Amino acid sequence: MAVQEHVQEQLATAAHEKFNAGKVIIEHVSNSRLQHPLVHLPKVLGIDFSITKHVLMLWLIAATVFVVVTWVVRRYLRQDRLIPSGFMNALEAVVEFVRDGIVQPNVGRKWVDTWTPLILTFFVFILCANAIGLIPVFEVVGLLDRFVLHTGEDSLVKQLLHGGTTATANFNVTAALATITFGAIIVAGSRAHGFFKHWKNLVPPGLAWPLYILLIPIEVLGMFVKPFALTMRLAANMVGGHIAILAILSFVFLFAELFGRGAGVGVGLVVSVPLAVGISALEIIVILVQAYVFTLLSAVFIGMAINVHH
Amino acid sequence: MDNPLVQVDPGLFIWTIITFLVLLTLLAKFAWGPLLKALESRQNLIRKSLDDAQQATQELERVNQESLQILRTARVEAESIISQSRSAADSLREEIKQKARAEGAALVRNAERQIQLETARALQQIRHEAVDLSVMIASKLIGRNLSKDDNARLIDEALQQIDAPGTPSQPRG
Repeated sequence: MAVQEHVQEQLATAAHEKFNAGKVIIEHVSNSRLQHPLVHLPKVLGIDFSITKHVLMLWLIAATVFVVVTWVVRRYLRQDRLIPSGFMNALEAVVEFVRDGIVQPNVGRKWVDTWTPLILTFFVFILCANAIGLIPVFEVVGLLDRFVLHTGEDSLVKQLLHGGTTATANFNVTAALATITFGAIIVAGSRAHGFFKHWKNLVPPGLAWPLYILLIPIEVLGMFVKPFALTMRLAANMVGGHIAILAILSFVFLFAELFGRGAGVGVGLVVSVPLAVGISALEIIVILVQAYVFTLLSAVFIGMAINVHH
Repeated sequence: MDNPLVQVDPGLFIWTIITFLVLLTLLAKFAWGPLLKALESRQNLIRKSLDDAQQATQELERVNQESLQILRTARVEAESIISQSRSAADSLREEIKQKARAEGAALVRNAERQIQLETARALQQIRHEAVDLSVMIASKLIGRNLSKDDNARLIDEALQQIDAPGTPSQPRG
């Protein structure tokens, strides 16, 4: 089981250095250190474009999503029958759920075809990015490296092990996704009402002018608060679950240090692993819910720009 | 800030946007677009098929009703034809019977009359023969021939004598 492998790896690490739970946890949920990226790239306009672990994860996810989804869709379109089979059933359920359950009720029938691709991509991309954090791919690689491969200290494998795998736990990533929502809101409003009318729609028309002094700052603030809330909700949820799992697993090593190996293994078997399994199960729900919430709220915000109700 | 959890990383921010937009463009072009179109057309096809099926059911129902109606009128018509022909046959039979009866009666009447006529003629002849015989016998007896006038007179007398006593039905010859 994945969690147990995780524990074993940690056990091995803990053997020859003093265990620091906070450092280990942070190391596992944050990006690889910016000073040591996987690939160094030159700075452009003072921005470091080096490829860190989370950039790599994003690319892996995007590539996987694209290949799998396109392959499934192409295979479905190639066949003569209209009846979906295999993985297409699941994909179709997702597509129809997003289109009929999220996009259409919010943006309306007229714009549903325009915005479904964006919302669908949000959903699939965020769901996969969330989910990969639950699968200890790199922990398995680390285990292999330690006991089988024995690569050197500066090898690519060692570098790959640094940093967490959940890109959506990094608020830079979620902020970028929320920025796309922010842009989509403006594009949606402008396409539905024209560029200037969209900005006028921010506040209800026909109020007494002193109210506008109050309302305009609030609405402008609200414009930025919406994506900010999206950013923080997703990142914090993704970090939270992982920290909880790792903190519970840390008991193993804390007890091992304090009372010897036997106590550590005992606590691991009786408390940590069952609890971590439970929280992992909860995390499966959380990754679905967070992907759904981000997608749904993006659709709601886009819909609010299109169907202005005052 | 030293905490890597809240490290600002503009490079990652921009990479995310680029990655996402590229993925969005590719998926929209190669996956979502064709898929949504296919789903839409399939939905329309299913809706149309259901409509067609319903229409066909209604049509079938209508045709069924129609055939039932046709059957019912055919049955009624057949019944009326049968009863009509039965009554026609009845009346024809009655007519034929009556005609036969009438013809029979006429034949009987004819025969009766014929018989009467024949009887009358036979009687007449017998009478003439008798007259001739008696004349011949009488002349033999008398020994001479009566003259023609005597003859006629004698016959008339004799006839009157025959006619007069109680045989009124004798035809006159």
